[in-house]
Amino acid sequence: MRLALLLGTLLVAGHPASATAHQLKLFATVEAGTVTGYGFFVGGGRAANALVTAAVGEAPVVAGLPVDADGSFAFAYEGPGPLRLALDAGEGHRAETTLAAERFAPSDTGEDQACTADADGLAELIEARVEAAVARQTRPLLEALAEAEARLRFSDVMAGIGMIAGIAGAALWATARRRGSTS
Amino acid sequence: MAHIADGVLAWPVLLAGTAAAGIGVAIGLRQLDETRLARTAILAAAFFAVSLVMIPLGPSSVHLLLATLMGLTIGSAAFPAVLVGLVLQLVLAGVGGLTTLGINTLDIALPGVLVGALLRNFVARAAPGPAMLAAGLGAALAVALTTLGVALALTLSGEGLAGAAPLVGFANLPLMLVEGVVTAFAVGFLKKVRPELLAPSAALAA
Repeated sequence: MRLALLLGTLLVAGHPASATAHQLKLFATVEAGTVTGYGFFVGGGRAANALVTAAVGEAPVVAGLPVDADGSFAFAYEGPGPLRLALDAGEGHRAETTLAAERFAPSDTGEDQACTADADGLAELIEARVEAAVARQTRPLLEALAEAEARLRFSDVMAGIGMIAGIAGAALWATARRRGSTS
Repeated sequence: MAHIADGVLAWPVLLAGTAAAGIGVAIGLRQLDETRLARTAILAAAFFAVSLVMIPLGPSSVHLLLATLMGLTIGSAAFPAVLVGLVLQLVLAGVGGLTTLGINTLDIALPGVLVGALLRNFVARAAPGPAMLAAGLGAALAVALTTLGVALALTLSGEGLAGAAPLVGFANLPLMLVEGVVTAFAVGFLKKVRPELLAPSAALAA
């Protein structure tokens, strides 16, 4: 019954546009020389009003790039990696992720090479197109994976509760022992 | 809201928060005896589980804190209970941060302990109705104080509130409401089945 009441209250209070959020996660991927991504809160909602910073080692690539209204961002970056990205959504929410070096294409493959008829140029062009196509196809998978990883697992909750029971048991044992030795 | 991540706050704020939380935990641990230990563990487990469950609300999500329920039933032992809950949340779910453990413990537990100390005698003696009302309002106040603590920690660190500073209390209205209702019903339930859990402060301070 209490749950029903809670749900009822939530339905009543469910419309406000602003509410506090907690765990912020950052999703980012690279497609054909453009790094795109977004911040999302575990349990739903994109992070609007957030700033993106990106750096390779200590060298900044992007500093304080504001996200769009839907919480996504995009900037051109060809490599090299690994690219470290951080998203600051204010109010203590901060998330980081890293795009590994192998996510960036090893060579630049511009349109100017499209006209070259030699075998090397063609191979490079095909490689670039395949790279772009694979990136486009795997993006939904990567998004789903990022969300699945962020989801809280039931086993984690049970592990925590079990741990607390264990700590309490150990503390009880310690107090009983202490009392036993003094009396 | 109350799970500030690593790398956001300034070092002096982190150190001060850790020191203050340390004092609170020490006081709480001194109060723990055999009977209160089990109660504290149950509330720590409840806090751990409940504040991991994100309830989608508007564009983001909120979760309960149960700080006032802890303050009412276990007093200062809420500090170690919250600390244990936060450590496990960090280790198992990656929520919050290692350096911010102290300040997060302080922001969540202190309002609950204060409100609990303020209301304990009244809640223990009053009829279930008024006791529930007082506990609910107290829980809403504790959430507001937690928000204020978080805002203060961020402001002292020179961190922007994304233009939300004047709205901080207002933005937490849904959470205040939910926390108030849940705490009120929990207190009402305890008044009915285990009134001795809501002992007056004299019994708790002993």
